[in-house]
Formats: sequence, structure tokens, C-alpha cells
Amino acid sequence: MSEILLHAEKIDKNFGVTHAIDHVTLDFYKGEIHALIGENGSGKSTFTSCLTGIYHKDSGEFTLNGTEVNARNQVDGNYQGVAIIVQEIGTLSGLSVAENIFLGKEDEFTKCGVKNTNAMNKKAQELLDSYGFNYIKATDLIDNYNFEDRKLIEIVKATHFKPQILVVDETTTALGEKGRIELFKVMKQTRDDGRCVIFISHDLEEVIEQSDTISVLRDGVYIDTVKSADVTPDDLKKLMVGREMSNDYYRTDYGERVSDEVVLRGEHLTVPGEIDDFSIELHKGEIIGIGGLSECGMHEVGKALFGASYDRKGTVTLADGTQINDIKTAIDHSIAYASKDRDNESLVINDTIQDNICLPSLEELKKNHILHAKDQKVFAEKYAKQMSTKMEGVHQFMSALSGGNKQKVVLARWIGKDSDIVILDSPTRGIDVKVKADIYQLMDTMRKNGKSIIMISEEIAELLGMADRIIIMKDGRQSGEFKRAEDLKDTDLIAEMV
Amino acid sequence: MGKTKNSAGLIRTLMPFAGFIFIVGLFAFLTKGRLYTVGNLKLLLSQTYVLLIACVGVFMIMTMGGLDFSQGSMLGLCSVVVCYLSNINIALAVVCGMITGGLIGLINGFFNVKRKITSFIVTICNMYLFRGIVAYATTKTPVYGASNITTYNTLPFALTFTLVILVVAFVIFQYTGLGNRLKAIGAGETAARFAGIRVERTKILVYAAAGMITGLAAFINSIKVGSVTATAGNQLETQIMIALVLGGMPVNGGAKVKFYNIILGALTYKILTAGLVMLGIEPKTQQLIMGIVFLVMVAIFADRETGMIVK
Repeated sequence: MSEILLHAEKIDKNFGVTHAIDHVTLDFYKGEIHALIGENGSGKSTFTSCLTGIYHKDSGEFTLNGTEVNARNQVDGNYQGVAIIVQEIGTLSGLSVAENIFLGKEDEFTKCGVKNTNAMNKKAQELLDSYGFNYIKATDLIDNYNFEDRKLIEIVKATHFKPQILVVDETTTALGEKGRIELFKVMKQTRDDGRCVIFISHDLEEVIEQSDTISVLRDGVYIDTVKSADVTPDDLKKLMVGREMSNDYYRTDYGERVSDEVVLRGEHLTVPGEIDDFSIELHKGEIIGIGGLSECGMHEVGKALFGASYDRKGTVTLADGTQINDIKTAIDHSIAYASKDRDNESLVINDTIQDNICLPSLEELKKNHILHAKDQKVFAEKYAKQMSTKMEGVHQFMSALSGGNKQKVVLARWIGKDSDIVILDSPTRGIDVKVKADIYQLMDTMRKNGKSIIMISEEIAELLGMADRIIIMKDGRQSGEFKRAEDLKDTDLIAEMV
Repeated sequence: MGKTKNSAGLIRTLMPFAGFIFIVGLFAFLTKGRLYTVGNLKLLLSQTYVLLIACVGVFMIMTMGGLDFSQGSMLGLCSVVVCYLSNINIALAVVCGMITGGLIGLINGFFNVKRKITSFIVTICNMYLFRGIVAYATTKTPVYGASNITTYNTLPFALTFTLVILVVAFVIFQYTGLGNRLKAIGAGETAARFAGIRVERTKILVYAAAGMITGLAAFINSIKVGSVTATAGNQLETQIMIALVLGGMPVNGGAKVKFYNIILGALTYKILTAGLVMLGIEPKTQQLIMGIVFLVMVAIFADRETGMIVK
């Protein structure tokens, strides 16, 4: 075993009554990719956030190469040798690519109080070129680039100064195939230089494939560290959950007949720059999976059907002939939508769990035209508990919840509304296996109860496992369609995507 | 951290009440109780109605994360309309006062929502625009109301008038879901839209409603004064904002607003100003003190954790 690079000694952090990480002691070695896994709320992100200066730990000590690391913020952390690529978007709109890469480090290009923008742009372009991203221009506004490219720019931002410790926090779920390959390249480079990557991911197969060592956290407590070569995903699930997980969390039925009754019909849907003449028919009790590369337009299909797209052409019609052109009409006619952008579109993040669950159901909650606070509380509690949301109470603010629990609140809202047509965009994005299994179970139950589901997903296994019918999109158009079948393979779908 | 957060939350909740009691106590002491004689209390109350009513509309706007600086000029113009038409018919005057306010509110809402200009800028522009119109209308002489208009200015009438507005607004805010929707817009506009709230329509209507409510305030203003001069309603907008913030309202709106912010705030503000006047403090010094109080309260109640901004 090589030398210890980073030693974490009894790191402890509380958020109110939640003991997020409980005296975690852990070693990271030179030249390894060290994965941290655990369920939502197990403390992985909190641990790395304490290391990189996003949060401040309550007690404990990080020692990097014999020196204590005590980052006050992310830039300070960078100067002390630790860097992080975060789960959500970590670049700032309105600034140029170069300004984003050197955010907080402008002093490096400042002489006598004057910033040398040219030097900064030049340096940024050199860096981008050296990573092979030469199509990204350092002087461009960051807003000119899509989510994936911005993630790549973030990789450059976090790694160009060769940090001793690079934290990759659930970044891969936001990336498409190309981005992942680039990210893994950078991770391997970091390892081969004798530095260390701390890799957080919910995709256990990816974890085993990419990492050398895996440490498991559960409820903020350190459980075990294993060698990636020695374990299977099932072993890891067992460690994470602390009990045997059944392997079959997808549907197991094949060949069931889907009803002929069409509940939702989208015809010739076009949204400039996103989708181009896309048509779809959803049947009662059917799960349609829509897949493709992240920029293929499939995420816009969900918005288009929900009446949320700007400048949409084409029609969305329900069985009774109702036209869906705006969100209010969609919701009033029993359509639900859970966005991929959970924090901005699905949830009012600066509001309580109760308000978020009740918001679309306020009219139904009225008794004799009067809305009572108590009814809202009872309603929210009922559905939050039905989804087994981990919370202090329904008056807790959303911003305090972990990703998986936020998604549970989103689903609780629509189950409470009892919507018949449910559009789920990336329903299990950034969510651990246990909650994932719950969501699949829920989808299966809903299907059996005659609800219809459109599931838009970047995870091929999920499409194969859950959908009655899979539509693959490419460049805004449908490029392939598959019926549910046991012998359908991921390669069949991928062939239509690229 | 969470525990301190909770206790910080509790302090924030109690702070406006403590502030109110402190101010009441402070001026009881400083004025040796003179402020609270029956006569002075009546006077105090009669000066509070306009502010209290106007606060209701702005409260709704601020809950959505907006601001309204045009309230003072709006009150001025509505008062012109009320006084002018009171010579014909008093009911007509009230209705047209409300319509005037509603139209100004519509203009605010239209530019804010459809032209996508922040409410701060739109309402400041309109503050000047309508102040100009008021000045024009009152150039030669003040606009006088009907000779009998001040006969309405009795304590029972004005108090009932104000209370009815407050109760109706409270019921609508609390028991129809309007409050939930406005708070959701203030806390996260995109998410509110995706939850089925017609954000644009709601915003425009709230601006218009706030204008109509100010039209009602203009009626109370008119029966109190009997006429309108060019300065009618001057600085009402800042008074409203200081009052709401004194009442514990976060300047950026959102989930933490409470309806009682209006009443608590308006009363605290009026006692504070009346107390300062009674102590014989010069107007310029009063402004200085109000400025400091406002700054301190905003600093306490701004919701920095969530990083929201005024739209």
C-alpha cells in the first residue's frame, strides 16, 4: 500500500437534530480513486463539503501531507490543495468561460491593481486546449454553452491547478456519454500523478469500474472500506442498506397486453432548437420510456406535453378532446410533471414541505370554499409519510432535504393530486438504490391502477427495466421504437441514439 | 447549527412584537404617558388608517417578491379623483378612486410582467409620472372635496371601514389559497409556474388590486383632509415599506411572511413617529432616526440564507 495522502480524523457535523456525519475517520492514499458510497443522507456530500470548504465541520481534523486542511471556502480549499466538482451547476451565468475558470483567483492575473484580462483569457484557452475542449472559447459567455459543456468547463476549473485531492460529487448523472469519458480521463490522470480522487456516485457499477477503493457510509457513520476488484454491486448494496436487497427492483412481467385506450396524444410537436415534429400516443396503464443522449430533445418533450414549453407548435390532446397548451390546464386535467431540474422547476426550494405538497391541490383541499391550515397539514403529512420522506416535520424547508428526499416530496405532491397521467423526467437522477427501488415499485403500482406514465431517462437499464414501450430520440426526432421484451439489449437502444 | 438556527428563527418571530412593546414602553416613559391619553390615542388612530389600508396591497406585492414605490403618488392621484367627484356623488367618488388606483396598478403590473422590468424600476418611474400629474391637477388651487365630505371623518366610520378591509383581505389571503400562491411566487417563481400557478396573471392582478386598495385609502385620506394638494401622499411608499419591515416582513417576501406583519408594523411605525413628534424632535432628525431604524430592521429581517432577491 502506498503512502497516506489525506487523513480524516473524527470529522463531525450536525444540521439541527440531524447528525449528518458522526466522527468519521478515514484514510485516502496517493494514487487512488477512492469512491464514497451510501444512501441519500448518509453523509457523503457533507463529508466532502467539509473538506473542500463548502461547509464548516463541527469538530475533527483533515491532514493533507502532514498539514492540516481548514478551508474557509472553496477558493481557499483550492489553495490548500483540495478541489470539488459539484452535483448541480457550479458555474456562474453572465461571466465568460475564462472568468469562471479563474473565479476567485483573479489576483493571479492582477498587477498593480489592474487585471490583465488578455493574459487570463490566453491561459484559460491554453487550459481548455490541453484538456481537448478546444471548441470551447475562453472569451465566450458561459451562457452560450449547454449544461454538459458547462460541466466540462467546471472540470477544467476544478483540476487545472492539479489539486492533491479532487472530489467528484455525483457529477456523472448530469453528464452524457462524452462528458463522462472526459471526466474519467481527468480522474485517471489525477490518480496516475500520485494524487487522489474522491468519487461520489450512486451508480454502483460505475463505482466498481472506475474506482480502486470503496468506502461506505450509512446514516453518517463509517461502515467499511473494500477493494473495488473484490466486490459486486450486490455486496455494496448490502453494505449501504445494512440488509439484503432484492436484486429485482425493476418490473419482472413481460408480454402483458397494454390497453388500446389512448389517454394522451401529442401530434407534430415542435419546439425550436429542441424537438422537431415529434408525435406520441400514451395508452391507459402504459409506461412509455423515452431515451437518448442528453441533448436529443427528450427533456423538452416532457415540458411540451405538460404545456410548459415556450413557443411550442403542434397539439397535445386528451382522450376527451381537451387541448393542453398551458400548465394550469394540464394540472387541472390530471397531468403531473416532475422535472429533471428538481430544485428550480419541481420544487419551491425556499418553502416548506407542506406548501410544496399542497400547492397544486389547494382547490381540492377547500371545504365549503374555505382553505384551512389544518387540512393542509394533514394532507401534507399523509403523503409525505406515504412516501416515507425523511424529515423533522412538514414545516421543514425543502432546502434542508437531501436529493432523494426532495424527489419524494415531488412525488408525494402528485400522488396527493391523484394525477392520471404522470410525466417523470429523470425520476431517479442522483438518488440512491433504496429510494430508486421505492420509485420503481410506485410506478409499477400506479401502472396497475390504470395510471399512465411517461418516463424520460438517461439510464438505459431503467428504460429496459420499466417501460412497456421505449422511444429513442436523436436530434429532436424519434429515431427508434421498441416494445418491452426480455431479450431487448442496451446495445439495441444505443444503436438508435448515436 | 440547526438549533441556533431554530432559536434565531424564534428571535426573528418575536422581534417585531418585542419591538412594538419596546416602542410603546419607551414613549410612555419619554412622554410621561402623554402619548396615550384618550385624545392622543384617537388622533394616533386617525393618522394610522391610510397607512394601514395601503399596507395591505403592498404586503401582497412584497409577498410575491416585488416592491411598489408608486403608492404615494397613487394615493395623491386617487385623492384628486375622490375629492373632485365627491362634489357629484360620494359613492361614485369612492368607486372611481378605486378604478384610478387599479389602473395605475395595472400599468405597474403590465410593465413588470409583460415588459419584464423589475418592479423597483417600474414603480419608481410611475412614482414620478403620477406625482407630476397630481402637481398639474393642483397647480392653481388644491382640489377641494364636497363641503360635507369631512362629516364622514368620525372614529366609528373610519375604524369600521379600515377593519372591514383588513378582515376581508385577511380572509382572502389566508383561506382561499391566495396567500399560498403569492408566497410560492415569492419563494420560487419558476417552480410556482410548474405547480400550475398562473404567475403572470396573478402578478398583474395583485398590482391592480393593490392599486384599488390604495384607492380606498385615498377615500379615508380625503375625508380627513377635505382637499388635495400637490404633496398628498408624499413618501407614503417609504412609510409603507418601513412599517411592513418593522412588522417583521422579509423585504424579499416568500414563505416567511405573516399577515400580522401589516397591523403590527403600521402601529409600531405610527407610535414611533407620533412619539418623536410629541417629544418635539425636528423633522430632519426624525428622518435620520427612521432611516437608522429601517436599515437595522431590514438587516435583521432580510432572508439572506435563501439568497433571494427583490424582483
